[in-house]
Amino acid sequence: MRSQSAARRVLVTVIMVLAGFVMLIPLFWMISTSFKTQAEVFSWPVQWLPSRLNWAAHEKVWFGRLSFVNYYKNSLKITMLSVAGALCFGAMAAYGFARIEFRGRDLLFGLYLVMMMVPPQVLFVPKFIMFDWANIYNTHWALILPGMFTIIGVFYMRQYFLTLPKELQEAAFIDGAGHFTIFTRIFLPLAKPTLVTFGILDFTWNWNNYEDALVFLISEKLFTVPLGLNNFILEHSIDYPGMMAAATASIIPIVFVFLLGQRYIIEGLVSSSVKG
Amino acid sequence: MSWMKRQRLIGYLFVLPSVLGVTVFFLLPLLFSFGLAFTNWLGPAGRGLKFTGLANFQRLFSDEIFLKALGSNILYLLHVPMSVALGFLAASALNQKVYARNALRASFFLPYLISAIAIGFSWMLLFHPTQGPINHLLRSIGVAKPPNWLASTSSAMSAIIIISTWHSLGFNMIIFLAVLQDVPRELKEAAAIDGASSWQITRHVTLPFISPITFFLLVIGTMNAFKSFGLIQAVTGGGPANSTLTLPLYVYRTAFRYYELGYASTIAIILFLIIFAFTVVQWYGQKKWVHY
Repeated sequence: MRSQSAARRVLVTVIMVLAGFVMLIPLFWMISTSFKTQAEVFSWPVQWLPSRLNWAAHEKVWFGRLSFVNYYKNSLKITMLSVAGALCFGAMAAYGFARIEFRGRDLLFGLYLVMMMVPPQVLFVPKFIMFDWANIYNTHWALILPGMFTIIGVFYMRQYFLTLPKELQEAAFIDGAGHFTIFTRIFLPLAKPTLVTFGILDFTWNWNNYEDALVFLISEKLFTVPLGLNNFILEHSIDYPGMMAAATASIIPIVFVFLLGQRYIIEGLVSSSVKG
Repeated sequence: MSWMKRQRLIGYLFVLPSVLGVTVFFLLPLLFSFGLAFTNWLGPAGRGLKFTGLANFQRLFSDEIFLKALGSNILYLLHVPMSVALGFLAASALNQKVYARNALRASFFLPYLISAIAIGFSWMLLFHPTQGPINHLLRSIGVAKPPNWLASTSSAMSAIIIISTWHSLGFNMIIFLAVLQDVPRELKEAAAIDGASSWQITRHVTLPFISPITFFLLVIGTMNAFKSFGLIQAVTGGGPANSTLTLPLYVYRTAFRYYELGYASTIAIILFLIIFAFTVVQWYGQKKWVHY
């Protein structure tokens, strides 16, 4: 019996390792190709590793005419400001919706739930016209300002605040502390893991945000990483190592964040979708 | 005013910034979009603006590209059940005793976080019709004429469906993994003592128990399929010959290639109604169709 279950364990592991490799092939192929010479890219049988590390494609990506250094600066600025705003305004609203009984609260929160299902493409056109009026079309503000307000963030952090015991608040009231003190001194410190989780998720969403950048930015010097990648590929459509070096450059922060915060990301996605 | 009452009013201050933001960047644009859908708004400034009533909606029915995009979008939905099923398989395998469980979980999940456009370009090379490794492989196992994948109208959507299945299955897997932990052990053990095979346990204990999540993932996947934009826009731009043009891409093209902002809003509203309908299905259907 025991040896049978050990054999099964090995078998399942082997199958899953093979499947796991298949899952990672496109990523592996991307990175490996970025170091190949043009001639090596499509050799058959597949050459999984380049014959030697060829950095020319990466040099072109980082120091060429369409430099990713500039795209990184733009993306980091937009992502950081968006995430900071989303955390700050989101946590405040989450506390208000979860822990303060003001009139019209549930109606207002119901409106948030309705807004959550609006597809982004529905907002493209009206936002384009409104941003044009407000003179923020083709500026980073067209991405940062909307990025500072996320509905899913309010939803997720509210879910956490709802789980904290009532006594926490009541004890503080008796000591004469108001909501601002309770929020900043008690709830925010307790919510640190929740804030980190949402911060990481929001970082990846903003970093990968291609469609808003595509619609609202036209000057190349303002381009973010996904848009820069798209642009690079259009200009180098047959330079395969170059294309893959650009794609590799665009995913570095995400892979990095994933390796550091895997546990947070998975917990966050599970609880925001299942418990939501 | 009493202190407690004042504390309650402070609630408005807490939600105020967020409510302002949501109003300006979600609610007003949504309402504006409903208005635009009944106009002939052209270009950013909307010169020669007229209310055209239901004309845009009538135009939808005779707009072959719109009908085609709607059809393609429905075809594109195929990746949802595939991704949910594969996600379930991966989760049930990883829910057993396996070696290197965390590393395996990570390798299935990582693709989901990578931006669809970066990974789309990698798939573009893998699917290269004449020289790509996928077709090399197919030819080496005896397929004389493998499909041209993204380069041909008959197979481009299949390629997109494969990429999307691959891209989204990690998400389904981790949700299933989380829920599989909640299946009561006693139930499975009791069934095993009664002589149920592991397939019977899966079929009669596990699947019914997780059915609300399966349902949820199918609905969420469907809604996302109607919002999906980046991958297809980057990899095919809707081509060749509109064969991968879905509704979100058609909205984008109508608005920012042809500058028909009014008509683009009409298509967007249809998109919104479709997603709204699925949300209603999810809220009410969950109780009716899911049995424990």
